[in-house]
Parts: sequence; structure tokens; C-alpha cells
Amino acid sequence: MEFKVSLGPQHPALHEPISLRMTLDGEIIRDADLKLGYNHRGIEKLAESRTFIQNLYLTERICGICSFSHQTCFTQGVEKLMELVPAKRGLYIRTLVCELERVHSHLLWLGVAGQEAGFESFFMYTWRDREVVMDILDTISGNRVHYSMNTFGGVRRDIDEIQRKHILDSLDLLRTRTEYYLNLAATEPTFVGRLSGVGKLSKEQAIALCAVGPTLRASGVPMDVRKDDPYAVYDEIPFEVCTADSCDVLGRAVVRVKELMQSYNIIEFLLKNLPAGPIKVKAPRKVKENEVFSRYEAPRGENVHYIKSNGSDKPERLKVRAPTLANYPATIAMLKDGFIADIPLIFAAIDPCICCAERLVQLDHPRSGESKVLTFSQLRQMANQRYKNKQFKKKETLWPF
Amino acid sequence: MNAEAIVQKISSDIKDKIQEVSLAAPLRINVKVDREKLLAVLQYLKEQFGFTHLATISGVDLGESFEVIYHLASHLATVNVRILTPRSAPTIPSTVSIIPGAILYERELQDMFGLVVQNIPNPRPLLLADDWPAGEYPLRKDWHFNRPAEKIPGGK
Amino acid sequence: MAILKPILYILVYPGLLFLLLYSTFCEWFDRKLYARMQNRIGPLHTGRSGILQPIADIVKLCAKEDIVPEKADKRMFSALPVFALAIVCTAALYLPVWHYGSASSFNSFPGDLIVVAYLLTLPTLIFFLAGWHSTNFFSTIGGVRVLTMLFGYEIPLLLALLSPAVLAGSWRILEIATFFQKQPLLLLVNLIGFFVALVALQAKLERVPFDIPHAETEIVGGQFTEYSGKKLAFFRLLGDIEMVVGSGLIAAVFLGGFPGGLLPGLAWFIVKTLFVIFLLAAMRAATSRIRIDQMINFSWRWLAPLAVLQLFIVIIIKGMVS
Repeated sequence: MEFKVSLGPQHPALHEPISLRMTLDGEIIRDADLKLGYNHRGIEKLAESRTFIQNLYLTERICGICSFSHQTCFTQGVEKLMELVPAKRGLYIRTLVCELERVHSHLLWLGVAGQEAGFESFFMYTWRDREVVMDILDTISGNRVHYSMNTFGGVRRDIDEIQRKHILDSLDLLRTRTEYYLNLAATEPTFVGRLSGVGKLSKEQAIALCAVGPTLRASGVPMDVRKDDPYAVYDEIPFEVCTADSCDVLGRAVVRVKELMQSYNIIEFLLKNLPAGPIKVKAPRKVKENEVFSRYEAPRGENVHYIKSNGSDKPERLKVRAPTLANYPATIAMLKDGFIADIPLIFAAIDPCICCAERLVQLDHPRSGESKVLTFSQLRQMANQRYKNKQFKKKETLWPF
Repeated sequence: MNAEAIVQKISSDIKDKIQEVSLAAPLRINVKVDREKLLAVLQYLKEQFGFTHLATISGVDLGESFEVIYHLASHLATVNVRILTPRSAPTIPSTVSIIPGAILYERELQDMFGLVVQNIPNPRPLLLADDWPAGEYPLRKDWHFNRPAEKIPGGK
Repeated sequence: MAILKPILYILVYPGLLFLLLYSTFCEWFDRKLYARMQNRIGPLHTGRSGILQPIADIVKLCAKEDIVPEKADKRMFSALPVFALAIVCTAALYLPVWHYGSASSFNSFPGDLIVVAYLLTLPTLIFFLAGWHSTNFFSTIGGVRVLTMLFGYEIPLLLALLSPAVLAGSWRILEIATFFQKQPLLLLVNLIGFFVALVALQAKLERVPFDIPHAETEIVGGQFTEYSGKKLAFFRLLGDIEMVVGSGLIAAVFLGGFPGGLLPGLAWFIVKTLFVIFLLAAMRAATSRIRIDQMINFSWRWLAPLAVLQLFIVIIIKGMVS
């Protein structure tokens, strides 16, 4: 019996609203479609009416996890438009925060993968260790989520010797914990059984569907913007691009854990080679008429900003493409012919950040397959009607005990 | 092969199909083509240099016309292929036959700029609400958001 | 007096009152252990170290609005939680915690092992009906998964319970327990069966790694998606009582029962059930949820053959002993 069902916009496996509309045959998915836009805030339109400095903080609010990715991508683009050479020490600190953010995002992902697979202990352990990175970010930027470290021409805050030592000390702990997780993820039979062979995406499919980030690298394609199109100081840092050949969710987990180890090495290198000097240079307010295409390797994959300036202090057009949007076509290909039980895992494996990538509820009648769409205002009317009509007994409204 | 060599090769190989080609910045190649010849150019870039990864498609409202930029990326360089389409007849060809991953970006363009993508396999709205009024395209420059007056339930 | 004792048995100990209190305590114990194993603190604020938290949860659920879906069969939907709770409470009466010696009575007779196993199967069927009558997509999938899982664990569980009964030569839980109290060394024979029964019990209680029917990241609440308020509180309580009865059954059959009359019996009961619950909590903390096909595969490839192997061992040992 085939029937249609819509997962979301509200569903416990989804941390943000998105609607996955699926055709199911028993426990097997036959077809899937996406409906986005539940979280659309019109940031691209809004950016056209804000100055570049204001947009610096607006782009940061595109995402809560990879906030620094969007801000850095925008900052680098605007610096190119201004023909500005940022201060060297500033670039080092910027790269440091980039890598710390990658560590915190990948640790978060590991926990989410554990939770989606029903492995609560793993979730609790990784999120506890994530606090170490959050504390580092807190000490160097003053914030846990929106660091606001970037400014045109460098960064806003310097790091001192005590902070440097604190980060280096914390790295040892993170290294041992990450090795433990790598070991755990590779040996715990129920966890491996849930991840391996799930959400297959062949190399050809991954390239054709323009997947990015760990999703692409787990299919054996060594594409990393940090190597291909180096920004900040990545051309001076020795590091490897991590790939896996298993093309499944386990491969994506392994790629992320390996990247964690690489990030620790990068952070150590940056802190040991931190140059002296100013952290920023002065930037002009107005920007010449030009355009720039800025790429950045966010924890989730390639992040892209296209900025066009018109000679004033506001951009003519800001186009943001978050890595999650690029991975959606690949997700649909992965979901087909999978099990219902694997939906949350496959979907989580691209590390979706729905608000990055972008109101009403779709109700499907399970038996007949007909669907009707209710707008938010209709739903509200229905709810009001229900409570107006409902005759509350006086006793029921009271505390029963 | 570096970016200069790619520019050289493009300008010698498909001179008749493109309007202009230039190296805007290190690793950034700008190619301008007619919208009728877009598919041929994308096919050439894919076969000749392996530009299979479409980073995104940006639309820009220039007033009289729309500019649509296809950002292709590979480990060699980034190629921005741009076409112009008049506001009176805003149609662009679908590139899904060459790059299957372009589908969501094309649906986004349809929603946000009201461009008509010819031969697109799934033309349903992607980002806008299901009850969004027809004919309103938020990222066009002449569209302005008028915030409706806020009504506080139970207020005056 | 002869009438008073059964009434005490049903209403106070080990009947309703004791069961309600002890099952909430067991839930607290399980939660606290699980939390400590995960590097957390667990319930803390209600009562001493949060010991009253499960009771507070149930009270809170009872105060919530009770919603019945429009398309659901209202009578069945409301009756099912009550039936399920009544059935597991009945099963609890057959645990030999305060036994009458060798004489048969209403709660101890030859064959009561089968009756308890049967009564413990019924809630599973009720979960399926609850899912089916909710008419929600997620509930229906959850209900179907409940039944699919039943085929996986039920037969290994019965086979595992069979082997101590064969060794003791009786179908009466009390006699099995007495047999092992006299020859405690023979308990070691049943080790494989003990672990099979433990895993099968974990599946019956629908806890990680077998919480497939109500896996919240996949199908929201499974068969309980549409339940709320008092009805959900009943189902929650049912889960706790089922845990007590299940671990009590395993303790009675595999761990030598609860000898010594009223008070020592009570002490043994608490120690042994908490030991079983500790093992269940450890299993829960160390594993990740598996898929339904993997679960069926696992039970038929490992659990059922192991249970059969146990039966063979028991038959051979029995031949050697007698």
C-alpha cells in the first residue's frame, strides 16, 4: 500500500522547520520532495537596505552554528571590493576562530548523529566535550554563539598569552576525547549497524548533484575550498583534505572526526606561529562599483556569497548560498529506497542548517492520499474556534488534586 | 592548468559563442554569453575543463533587464558565466540536463525574480509560502515590503 | 483471616499500593542510573535526590488536557490504557513474594509461569490496538512495528523461561524458585537463558536499543503519538509496572526467587529486581537504537538459537543429575 506522508514542518527529528513530503510503501521510501521557506527571513532583501558595517552583523545572524562562516565569507568579499589588505595577525586570529567553529560544529554534529540513531549516551558525552570549545570561544570573543570577531581589515579583539595557553591546554583534552569517539564509532556494533550502508551516494551522483563539504568528501571527492581556493592564511598552513570511500553515513561521520583531528593541528600551528603586529587596518566606508564572488569552507561545506556594490555604502545585491541548500538534491537521491527509520540519519548526515538555507502547515490524509493545505491564519482560526466551542466544565479547569 | 591558460583556451576555442572573457581577479574568470548559447558554453566548460560543480546561480535586477550569473567552481578556478534576459520576457533555459544539481537554484530564481525557466522538470514554488500572492517577486528592486499594521489580540 | 490475606495481597502487598510506589521508585532508580552512566545528574529537585520525580510526572500528566482525536474510535481509545494497566497489575500478583508454602491458591498454582508470560504479552497487543485506533500515520506505523517486534522477542523469551522450568520439573514459579534455593549451584546452568531473557525483556519494555515502535526521531511518539493527559499517564505507569513485573519474573525464575516470608522476602525482592534493572539500564546506556529489520534478524539469528542451545544444555544436565 503506497501512501503519502509529510514529515515536518514540526517533527522531533528536525530541529528547524522544513517539510519532507514522501511517498511510502510500507517502511520503504519511494519518492521524496522538499518544501522550504518556513524559516525564510528575507535577509538578501534586507541586506540591500543596510550599510556594509550593518550587514557584517546581519550576515552573522544567518546561522546560529556557522555564524562565523557567513560573516567571514562576507567580510572577505567586501575586503576584496575595498581592495584592502587585512592585517596579518588579524588574519591568523580569524583563521583560528574559523577552525574553533569547525571543531564545535563537528562535535555538535556527532552528538546529533548519536541522538538521531537513538544513542543518547553518545549525544550526552559529545555535547559535554563541546562545552570545552564553547568556553574557548567565550574567552576569546566574549560570546558563545555570535562571536562578532570580524571587521573589515582584520578582527576586533586580540588574544593574549593567557588565552593562548588556555587554548593549547584544552586541545590535549579534546584530542584524547576525539580519539575515543573515533574508536567508539568504529567498534560499537549497534551504532555501526545503524550507520554503515545507509544513505548511499555514489561518487558520480555526488558530483552531478553538486554536493559540498563532508557529504561530497565521504563519496571520495577531495574538494575543499581551503585547498582549492585558499583564503585567509590557509595557503601557509599544512593540513590534509580528509576523504572516505564508503559513500554512506558512516563515511560522513569518519570524515568529520578526521577533520576534527586536522583542525586541532591547524589550531596548534596557528597559535605557535602567531605573528606580532596590529590586528586590523582602517577600512573605507564607501565601496567602489564592482562585484565579487567569495567562497569559504564552512563546517558543512562550501559557503558562497556573491556581492555586488554600486559605489555607495550599501550593497546592490548580496546573494548567499549556504552549504545546506547545495546538499538538498543529494539528500533526496539518498532518501529514495531507504527505510523510514533512516530518514533522520540521512537527513542529519548532511548536517542540515535549515535557517541557513532559507509559514503554514500541510496536512495529508493518510488513507486516501488527498492533501489539503492550511495557512497559518486558518490554523489559528481553527484553534480559536475549538476553544470557543468547547464547553469547559468548571471542575475541569481547576487543578484536579 | 592555471586561470590564465583557461582564459586563453576559452577565447581561442569558442570565440563565436561568447561575447567576452576576462580574468577579473586571481582565480575568477568572467564569461559573458548570449542566453541562447548558454547551454553550449556550459557543456563546453564541463567537457573541456571539468567544471561540473555549480556553486550557485545569482540573479541581479538591473532595471531594464535581469542578469543571471552561473558560478561554476573546480579546483582550477571559478568561472562566472553571465547572461542577460530582458524584463519584458524574462526567460532562461534550464541547465538541469547538463548539471542536475542546478534544480533548486533555478526554482529559487523562479520564486524570487519571476524568471521563467524553460524545460525545468519540477516548477513548483520552493521558498515562498503556499499562499503567497501570484506575480509578486520579492528580490526585484521595485518590490517593497509593506508591513501590515500589527493587531494585538484584546488590545485597542 | 483467610479472606483478609488475599485482600491484603491484592490491595496492599504485593498488589496495587506497593506496585504503584515501588514502580515509581524503580523508574527513579533507572533514570538516575542512566543519567549517571551518561555523565549527567538526573532528577534532583522533587523529594530527596528527586525520588518523587516519577510521581510528580504522573500527577502533572493527569492535570494536562485530555485530547481524543476526532477520527479515533473514542471508546476503544479511552478503554485501552485502563485495560493494559489492569492486565500488568494482575500479572504482578503471581510473583511469589509472600508465598503460602506448597499449597495451591488463587495466585500460585501449577502453570502460573505460562499465565504470567501470557499476561505480559497482552500489553503489547494493546499497544498495537492503541496505535491502530489513533488513526494517525505515526501511530499506525508504531503499532505495526510493535507487532513486528513481538514476533522477534516473544519466542526467545518463552524458550528462555522454559529451561529453568524443565530443570526444576515444574510450571509453578514458586516451585522453580524453591528448587533453585535448595540447589543454588544449578543457577549457573541457566546463564545463557538469563541473558536471552534479559535482552528479550528489554525488547518487551521497548527501551533502547529496542525502542523502535516509539522512536521519537523517526515516528514522533509511535503508538502513543495521539495520547495525552491521563491516558498517557496510564501508559507511562504501565511501562514502569511492566518493568517491575518483568524483572521480578526473571529474578524469580533465574535468580532463585525471594525466600524467607514477608520481610526477608521483600528485601530479596527489592535487591534482585534492582539488580535486573541495573543490567537493563546498563544495556540501555551502552547501545544505540537499531532498525526493525536488524532487530528481527538479531532475534532469530542469535536469541532464538541461544535459547534452544540453553534448552539442550538443561536437558543434558537434567539427565546427568537425576
